[in-house]
Amino acid sequence: MHRRDFFKIVGVSGTAAAVAGCQQSAETLLPLVVPNEQIVPGVAAWFATVCRECPAGCGVIARNREGRVVKLEGNPDHPVNRGALCIRGQAALQHLYHPDRFAGPQGRQGGALKPVGWDEALKTVTAKLAELRGAGRGRSVALVSQLESGSLGALMDRWTQTLGTRPRVTFEPFGYEAIRAASRIVFNRDAIPHYVFEEAEVVLSFGADFVETWLSNVEHVGGFSRMHGFSGGRAGTVIQVEPRQSLTAANADEWVRNAPGTEGLLALAVLKVMVDEGRAERRFGEAVAGIDVRKVAEESGVPVDTIRHIASVFGRAKPGLAVGGGVAVTGAHATATLVAINLLNAAVGAPGRTLMFGADVAYGNVTPYAEVAALVAAMAKGEVEVLLLGPRVNPAFTLPGGLKFAEAAAKVPLVVSFATHPDETTALAHLVLPDVHWLETWGDYAPREGVLGLMQPTMSPVGDSLPTGEALLRIGRSVLGGEEGKGPLPWGSFEQYLRSVWEPLVKAEPNGWERALRRGGVWRQTPAVAVTTKVSTVEAAPPKLDGDAAGLTLLAYPSFRFYDGRSAGAAWLHEAPDTMTQAVWDAWVEIPTETAARLGVGAGDVVRVTSPHGALELPAYVSSTLHPGAVAIPIGHRYAGYHLAQKYVAAPPTSLSPLALLGGAADPVSGGAVFLGVKVTLSRTGARRPLAILQATHDQDHRELAQHVGLRAAREEALRGKPKPHEFISLYPPQQYPGYRWGLAIDVDRCVGCQACVVACQAENNVPVTGKADCAYGRQLHWLRIERWAEGLASHPHNLFLPMLCQHCEVAPCEPVCPVFAAYRTEEGLNGQVYNRCVGTRYCGNNCPYHVRRFNWWNSEFPAPLEVQLNPDVTVRQLGVMEKCTMCIQRIMAGKDRARDEKRLVRDGDIQTACQQTCPAQAITFGNLKDDRSEVSRLAHSPRAYHVLEEIGTRPSVAYLRKVVREGA
Amino acid sequence: MSTAVERRTGPPTFADVTRDVLRTLGAPGNLYFAWMCVVGLILAGGILAWTWQIWIGMGAAGKRTPQMWAMYITSFVFWIGIGHAGTLISAILYLFRARWRTSIFRAAEAMTIFAVMTAGLFPLIHAGRMWFAYFLLPYPNQRELWPNFRSPLVWDVFAISTYLSISTVFFIVGLVPDIAALRDVSTGWRRRIYAMLALGWEGSHSQWRHYRRAYGLFAALATPLVLSVHSVVSWDFAMALVPGWHSTLFAPFFVDGAIFSGFAMVLVLMLPMRHYFGWHAYIQDKHLDAMGKLILVTGLVLTYFYLCEIFTTWYSGDHFEKASLFWRITATYAWALWLMYFCNCIAPLVLFSRRARTSPTMLYIVSILVLIGMWFERFNIIVPSLGRDFYPYTWGIYVPTVTDTMIVVGSFAWFFILFLGFIRIMPSLSIVEVKETLPLPVKDRAHGGH
Repeated sequence: MHRRDFFKIVGVSGTAAAVAGCQQSAETLLPLVVPNEQIVPGVAAWFATVCRECPAGCGVIARNREGRVVKLEGNPDHPVNRGALCIRGQAALQHLYHPDRFAGPQGRQGGALKPVGWDEALKTVTAKLAELRGAGRGRSVALVSQLESGSLGALMDRWTQTLGTRPRVTFEPFGYEAIRAASRIVFNRDAIPHYVFEEAEVVLSFGADFVETWLSNVEHVGGFSRMHGFSGGRAGTVIQVEPRQSLTAANADEWVRNAPGTEGLLALAVLKVMVDEGRAERRFGEAVAGIDVRKVAEESGVPVDTIRHIASVFGRAKPGLAVGGGVAVTGAHATATLVAINLLNAAVGAPGRTLMFGADVAYGNVTPYAEVAALVAAMAKGEVEVLLLGPRVNPAFTLPGGLKFAEAAAKVPLVVSFATHPDETTALAHLVLPDVHWLETWGDYAPREGVLGLMQPTMSPVGDSLPTGEALLRIGRSVLGGEEGKGPLPWGSFEQYLRSVWEPLVKAEPNGWERALRRGGVWRQTPAVAVTTKVSTVEAAPPKLDGDAAGLTLLAYPSFRFYDGRSAGAAWLHEAPDTMTQAVWDAWVEIPTETAARLGVGAGDVVRVTSPHGALELPAYVSSTLHPGAVAIPIGHRYAGYHLAQKYVAAPPTSLSPLALLGGAADPVSGGAVFLGVKVTLSRTGARRPLAILQATHDQDHRELAQHVGLRAAREEALRGKPKPHEFISLYPPQQYPGYRWGLAIDVDRCVGCQACVVACQAENNVPVTGKADCAYGRQLHWLRIERWAEGLASHPHNLFLPMLCQHCEVAPCEPVCPVFAAYRTEEGLNGQVYNRCVGTRYCGNNCPYHVRRFNWWNSEFPAPLEVQLNPDVTVRQLGVMEKCTMCIQRIMAGKDRARDEKRLVRDGDIQTACQQTCPAQAITFGNLKDDRSEVSRLAHSPRAYHVLEEIGTRPSVAYLRKVVREGA
Repeated sequence: MSTAVERRTGPPTFADVTRDVLRTLGAPGNLYFAWMCVVGLILAGGILAWTWQIWIGMGAAGKRTPQMWAMYITSFVFWIGIGHAGTLISAILYLFRARWRTSIFRAAEAMTIFAVMTAGLFPLIHAGRMWFAYFLLPYPNQRELWPNFRSPLVWDVFAISTYLSISTVFFIVGLVPDIAALRDVSTGWRRRIYAMLALGWEGSHSQWRHYRRAYGLFAALATPLVLSVHSVVSWDFAMALVPGWHSTLFAPFFVDGAIFSGFAMVLVLMLPMRHYFGWHAYIQDKHLDAMGKLILVTGLVLTYFYLCEIFTTWYSGDHFEKASLFWRITATYAWALWLMYFCNCIAPLVLFSRRARTSPTMLYIVSILVLIGMWFERFNIIVPSLGRDFYPYTWGIYVPTVTDTMIVVGSFAWFFILFLGFIRIMPSLSIVEVKETLPLPVKDRAHGGH
């Protein structure tokens, strides 16, 4: 879908759906019996909304076919994500159509949640609230929501004020409070700035996992790609200081492994060297007066030379950007660390250029964790009588184990959850009033100042659910005894409220509301706010950790697939591998090689991880890169609540979260949660639970699948141009392409391994989920995979990410061996696969040197209502047939049809494959290889271009561009 | 079944031959039924497993990426190989007038047909959608869709169906005079069936002349097939890119291996028959000796091919081939490779000794080892090569499941049930040809002249 067309279609259908969307029709999963005039069978309508899978607030356009959303794409107009979408955004559909989603309100009867009617459910809440209000105990009502920066948040605040309850708690497990506090301390501005990666020459990150989940990962991956990707001989440098080789560290030009918690010291040491060498102003000397670089080197395990090297690279940057505050390294000293990082920023002139105040990020509105902890304490003391938990708030899972939320919740007489899916918290709730999914609702969300994303229903709700805003309005009115149209809460629906809020915003533009709906919101330039830097001494020594002093530091890091666990219901996400480990499904504990050897633990052995606050049993992943003093466990893996998990995993474990091991302490300055706070001890359990790991080895064995070139050589090549290509000698006449010849160019230099394309492909092409056992046995069905190839030292490898899909070879090994022409060559250079013709000899699968052909070992199931998500333009394959990447043939057909309707040829950029469309790093380009002026041709003829396994002579239509590595890095 | 057949000292007479052969067609004993029961049960298990696999999907067999082929194709090639000895014996040795073939060729031909019938099942068992396997046949259809004649699998279809039909016809033609003999001695419904199959054979001079011509023609027709079928099957591998498959060596290598395993199977079948039926007079030590020699020679040739394979891999300097070979020799499946080398290269060396060549026990042991070795040869070509090919991301280990093991074992049962059935309804020794090799019956010699 091209943008122009998107506008066209939305122009017609936007308002219509807007009208249809607010109806509480529900319950009908089938297309309408009486056709809606706006629904044209076979023609998709697109609706713009905002992704709410995390607080980044990316713009989304939802592809609606015959009344049901079948695919999500990034909104190309949205300033945050500019058309891209991450893996979690792509998988949101699986929550929309999740088989375990609440079909309607639930009440706890005899220990279990049973369906109840809406009237009854609302009456229960109303009665309790009215009773408390009558008794003057309104303050014993607490409302907790996720980060709602828009109208819903405002409505909730109005609601709490009107009803006289406690102020709303905006709860985000990853609140980045320390960044805000450090901004206050150094720049005297109580906000989280907008980090502009693309403007930086050098990015120095102290554990900020910006490729994974940090603040706004799609936006920052885009920025990273623009500043770091080789283009016109220019390429920025990224240095990552982190105890673990995370996906972000793997993408950095240089990964510096430090002892956990020494980030602040290192930042100061770098600043000290910069001051000493005259790369920073003298005034910063005050802050680093007490720093002895040698001592820091000793404490952090980072050699003095490396610190000096970082200082010289970063000090030269005009401008540079230093970032920090990744969840895994957020300890009790997090604010001090970020103050040190901010000083570095000030020293390289970041404020106003790469660090923008004014465009403050919504995260700054998160209620600091300390206040959440205070609420839990109040609950434990019995001071809270009604606890209302907004959608996607799951404190029972996301709060540190040391806080004992479950015990506190047991003291609350009425716990009401607005969750859409069962989770650890609804297991404690007395009442569940399911919210509509964010794809079914009105709303708005401002990820940062100046960007107001507008949400509209992209389809009518799947179940019998009620928008939380509307539920609150109804409850509030009943408690107050008011009626619709009167009183402090007069709006009949949340939509009415939203429109009343938006009226002034869209007034200026003619037809403003509709245009805002079509665009996905309103964007405004926000003037940069100038800040002054306050330099003072910083005490950034590593914090004292709980637990056995001889233990290992626990690094609990958010999984880029599940965030804080709210995305863990999507089977697509479980089946897309964690790029570094290539593990799917179960969580693991990453153990340094030395410790594993000492314990006698191998990969897949179940290890008991014990902290003073809890214990956890997880299979081991032995890591040669992890700091020897640490163990790492991803946050966000969970199966609880989801019956669906049982279909895909044998005996799904109930507890997988490292948060259970953490204490409840807070950073005293910022009030942020402490994630780097405990030492743990490991012991063998003797049990085994092997992980399903997709990649057999990370060693390329000199096969040069993923290639790289030095920066200097790349510059030289770029000037000289590509040498004459190798001439193939063949007895056959060359293949003729009467029309187009489709091809892809994939830039290995840009690919960050975020897996968004993998899930986008799965969503677009009806690729089934196979489950853990089949994945472990090479039977996953992904058409596209991201490989990680490691080079160099095992303890410090350079990583290359290689997206591998059908290469659509010109001399395809799969084609001649097929006895029935199921695999054949099309006139447009594609390698076709006719499912109906396939007998399943699997000869093609053997003969494909890339092993990208996928066989349907079983009949795939799409548990209802997930089958509604299936793309009607793509065949669902039967048992016994071979399948593989089609280069999104359905999109090519649509593009050609459109061009034919307009009596023209397909233009470059008209057609985007699903993987290309979603790629936050813009690593994938699709187009016509026959056209010399097309982008894909230009890239395929670039000096960096190569073909994987070129020497076999398959002549792929997919060209790869070598990664550009920094010499000496 | 009586096993205590008295051993005659002199050469058998024509009457002896007829009697000895026809005796095998009498009512079978308990031992026979016991065998039939065992084999039938295993076969039933195999059928059950196949049914399950069709129902639930190919996932029931242990295949995966990268081993999209595994035990089924292994067994397919193994059985095709077995099917080679029969035609070799009946056609090539006939044309070369190797007289020692007469006593073994009938059973060997039957073995060929049954082996090809067994082999022919495997492509069906193996196909993901076996119900569409007919797509591989070039039948006229309104869609004007034909099979891909560039695909070695389509060549297989032609090679195997040709081989099966020619060897079946050849077999039936060879049977005609013997069936006529059967017809003459049997009664009731059997007689009617035999009469039909005997095609009105009367043993007239002109019939014999036609028969001889036809037999010779079929022998000439079948001869190239002996070489072609397994060459074509070998191209399933040689035409593919997979390191360890992509070799011009494969056609002669496979043909030799096929003859090697085929003779081993002939011995495995004939030695018990000779024992139980008391055919020592017909299958004499010199016959065993000749077959032992053939096994020895083909075994030595095979060893040469193995060395060639290793040498060319090393000499090519091809990284993929070298890595694949090194892995096969040293890693997960090394045991299978070394077992194969032992069975196919070392074990047959015993046959350099004439005593071993004439000792049924030794021959039997060697033959069994050769069969094991040859099954594993195909396994080693398919499974480890695929497991370690071009792309390190997908390297993997194939693990058999209950389903595919039951099907493969069931295929042996299928073969044996056919063969056991055959020896009870058809003369498994050629009455006619054995008689040809005997001295003419002279009245005086038999009774001292009176």
